Amino acid sequence: MSLAFHHKLLHSSVLHERARVPRGRVYCLAATTTKPRPDRTHLAVEPRPSTAPGPLISPTRPVLDDPSLKSTWGHRAWLACGCTAVLVALAKSVVVSCESHAWAEPVLAGALGYVLADLGSGVYHWGIDNYGDASTPVFGAQIEAFQGHHKWPWTITRRQAANNLHALARVVAFVVGPIDFICNDPTMLGFVAICSGCIMFSQQFHSWAHSTKSKLPPPVVALQDLGLLVSRSQHAAHHRVPYNNNYCIVSGVWNEFLDDRKVFEALEMVLFFEFGLRPRSWSEPSSEWTEDVEEESYQVEA
Amino acid sequence: MMATLSLPKHSLPSLLPPQTPRTQSPRNPTFLPKSTQSQFHGLKLSNSSSPSVPSSFSAKSTIFAKVNKGQVPPAFTLKDQDGKNVSLSKFKGKPVVVYFYPADETPGCTKQACAFRDSYEKFKKAGAEVVGISGDDSASHKAFAKKYRLPFTLLSDVGDKVRKDWGVPSDLFGALPGRQTYVLDKNGMVQLIYNNQFQPEKHIDETLKFLQSA
Repeated sequence: MSLAFHHKLLHSSVLHERARVPRGRVYCLAATTTKPRPDRTHLAVEPRPSTAPGPLISPTRPVLDDPSLKSTWGHRAWLACGCTAVLVALAKSVVVSCESHAWAEPVLAGALGYVLADLGSGVYHWGIDNYGDASTPVFGAQIEAFQGHHKWPWTITRRQAANNLHALARVVAFVVGPIDFICNDPTMLGFVAICSGCIMFSQQFHSWAHSTKSKLPPPVVALQDLGLLVSRSQHAAHHRVPYNNNYCIVSGVWNEFLDDRKVFEALEMVLFFEFGLRPRSWSEPSSEWTEDVEEESYQVEA
Repeated sequence: MMATLSLPKHSLPSLLPPQTPRTQSPRNPTFLPKSTQSQFHGLKLSNSSSPSVPSSFSAKSTIFAKVNKGQVPPAFTLKDQDGKNVSLSKFKGKPVVVYFYPADETPGCTKQACAFRDSYEKFKKAGAEVVGISGDDSASHKAFAKKYRLPFTLLSDVGDKVRKDWGVPSDLFGALPGRQTYVLDKNGMVQLIYNNQFQPEKHIDETLKFLQSA
């Protein structure tokens, strides 16, 4: 395992980052959304070689047993805390609903939580992908992790579960835990349980979206095909030029709406004109963040 | 001045207020296809539909003069990407497409500029000139034009004076400079106005269609 590669694998859960095209390639940046198509406005110039050291790739398919991909007991503990918080909220909601024989509202609230979790994942993902850097307070590590993920998107499939989920689980534990104590309303608890559960497991859904069909359990494939979990194809579009779409990673149900309505583009424009903030998706990516396609080719099954 | 309003077909309800495509040529439907008037475009919200309403939500509350179809817009002299003064009167004698766009090097504006570039020969064949105007300075225009090999003139409306004089409406409650295109005939009179913030390529389609059918 190369040192450069090891450095790129971060401890925190990796979500997304913007894949970058090689330096020297000029695009008429277009807010095209989901489907890649021949861009008649593309001006290609001679690509300059990448200056960033890439990972050493053996001639044979590398085996990824990097320790940073494995779960630690700390990771497992946080995942357990997060799951406990979610399950307690769910259990309380179910128990109180049983006692009051009022199911409709908690169930609807849960459904709403599932839908809004997808939206939340997209907004957060968009923000992290486009703004800030490693030095940004609170979010710096996540932002850097996103960048790393765009360079090596497939590594998320190699992370053990707790390793992948512990950062989100920690947030859920701190947010949902207190709610479990102070709230007894089954509707609110139903919403919180499902919404937080989906958010916590969004990294797992994300990992599944990077996997190949043959490696996924059939129920997962079925859920992806039904649109209940973000699909592999939909998420793959996020890792293609112009890297500014399909940000939602729970079910992906919001992606078409957000992309067709140019919601994120509008937000980017407002932030640009109001605060002078330029999102990363508007700029040509640096070679450091370029998706390592050659590395990925060793990971993708035929 | 009627503004058409229709809701898009989406599986989820709109999070934002329905928005109006501003296609201001209401009396002659041949200038604009019905689809333009009935489509929901991005997140644009027009904030003026009559000459008496201010065209932007500025603190001044000044009623700006607004250019309508059939009118001759106010004259201007602005610097182009080479720093030279260019007057609107320079283009009299042939049709000219004057397109106001938010800013250089933003996705929509780049797409729009490239689309004008790619169709420039068609505009020339129709006898028309193309002029882009934004609030960026000459240096920004120069870099933008060079990067994307834009063959037409870009003018610097620093301070957005001409934008205000012409009454180009802004979008999203004034947060975004509007994207509006005017087609002037050889006498300098406005014959078409097209507004669409989030589908910039449509500006080329609509103006070219108009010029080719005129």
